[in-house]
Amino acid sequence: MTTKHVIATAHTRSIKNRFARRFLRSLLKMKRSNRLGTGFQSNEEIRKRNTQRIKTAADRSMARVVGPRKIWSRALLFKLRNRARIQVGLRKRCLVSKKKKVLGKEKKVQVISREPNRADNLRELVPGGDSMDICSLLEETAHYIKCLATQVKVMQSIADLYST
Amino acid sequence: MDGSADNNGDLGYQNRAESVMNCPSSGMNTNPFYASAWDPVVSLSQPGNFVGSSTESQSEFSNSPFPIVMENPGISNTCHLVRYPSDSGFIELVPKFPGFGSGNFSEMVGSLGLTECSQIVNTGCPSNYKEANNESTSHDAQRQEDHQLSEETTIGALPHGKRRRRVAESNSPFDPNKNAEGEFQKYPSGESSDSAKELDEKRQKIEQNRGANSCGKQVVKQTKDNPQSREAPKENYIHVRARRGQATNSHSLAERVRREKISERMRMLQELVPGCNKITGKAVMLDEIINYVQSLQQQVEFLSMKLATVNPELYNDVERIQSKDILHSRGGNEAILGFSPGTNSHQYSHGTFQPGIPVIPNPHPHFSPAHHAILDNELQSFFQMGFDSSSAIDSLGPNGHLKPEL
Repeated sequence: MTTKHVIATAHTRSIKNRFARRFLRSLLKMKRSNRLGTGFQSNEEIRKRNTQRIKTAADRSMARVVGPRKIWSRALLFKLRNRARIQVGLRKRCLVSKKKKVLGKEKKVQVISREPNRADNLRELVPGGDSMDICSLLEETAHYIKCLATQVKVMQSIADLYST
Repeated sequence: MDGSADNNGDLGYQNRAESVMNCPSSGMNTNPFYASAWDPVVSLSQPGNFVGSSTESQSEFSNSPFPIVMENPGISNTCHLVRYPSDSGFIELVPKFPGFGSGNFSEMVGSLGLTECSQIVNTGCPSNYKEANNESTSHDAQRQEDHQLSEETTIGALPHGKRRRRVAESNSPFDPNKNAEGEFQKYPSGESSDSAKELDEKRQKIEQNRGANSCGKQVVKQTKDNPQSREAPKENYIHVRARRGQATNSHSLAERVRREKISERMRMLQELVPGCNKITGKAVMLDEIINYVQSLQQQVEFLSMKLATVNPELYNDVERIQSKDILHSRGGNEAILGFSPGTNSHQYSHGTFQPGIPVIPNPHPHFSPAHHAILDNELQSFFQMGFDSSSAIDSLGPNGHLKPEL
């Protein structure tokens, strides 16, 4: 394994490559599990399920590649893990409680009903954005955008590779 | 530059030390009266290096420690700068961008042509504040004295409305000082006046530990008019200097720091989001960012759907891609039909390839090994070129017929 890495190109360590590898590996895993359980559903359902699976696989692999160094990746991993186990309602409760925690420092009375800030939309988009102040929100957004762009690029190229 | 700066710094310190020693008021350490002698000194008289220097970003840096009210040439050169380095005028929080901060620091230093100061400045890199904390605790007593001195020295402060806030990693050394003064937190002059030894020590420490001492000391310059109000103690202090003509209220300073941080991040985002070069204004920019993130997320969903539709082949080929990644480093294509159970150490391809073909609903049961091999080569090149999709598609040309529309 080490010699392979040595021989590998200089791009091996970039986010793009790492994400691609992980993503493909997760696709393989998915394929294996697919193989075991197919046959009972219609093609349509299979496709929908696979869509969701692929998306979560992509998100998870991206978050893993980034590691726990960023708030959004941690939040994303947490969300994905929870989603697998608990209901949607519980997840919302977790998010809401995060908001409470953040705002609790400033105003103990008001919880979520602040004046709707423009950045609130951004908070919803960026995973883990609820519990960030504007400053770190912007920072995380920048990194998140970068990673999303690489994710799109890799997936695009894989899709192009297989559908001509 | 650093080397020369060090040399100059050494000389400077020596001079200062001597001048300090030669000061008429001998009770340097604990003498508030001495502070008055230091009044002119407080304005660190760096001979003309800093006056009128530079750009805005640097002005904070340069102007603050160098009030022009120099009376005592001998003393003026003393140690004022020992504390300086903590001032780098950084607006960012130290822990966040240590590299960034240090970069600015050296730039500023270089541009200012500081000699003695550069050394200190370099040592005051934010990444080393922790060390500074540890070291600064040893100078608490001196600091207290310094504060007393600084208080008095403020009278002789810069004519500019400069004010500096202190960046302090550790609150402890400053708290007693704060209590003592209530206003001024840092004064390099006081500390420097203590003794030549201290100066030397400090310098050495700075040299060695990069801002060990300096972080504890901060230069505060105030105008005569503005009362100095300290910022509420935070965990990470940000060293900020008020520019000329700007309010020096602690609240406004904090807000200014915050605003600058935010605008800097917005600039970063502006570069990332395509087509935002001409947008000015945070609101519009935010909307653009939101739209862009939304579009990226939608793209991911769409692509995952697309990948799901090309499912079976993808799954087959994924193994090959994996094996390719591992194989290509071994010297390229082994024409082993895309899978080499013997050679491939990849765990997946081992276990899954063989049963994969018969079980998976493959629309192309006639997928011949030749095609696999060719596909593998293309995939390999595909990955090596960093996913240049166009090239991959081109290379896939001959195999295009293998992929029927679903």
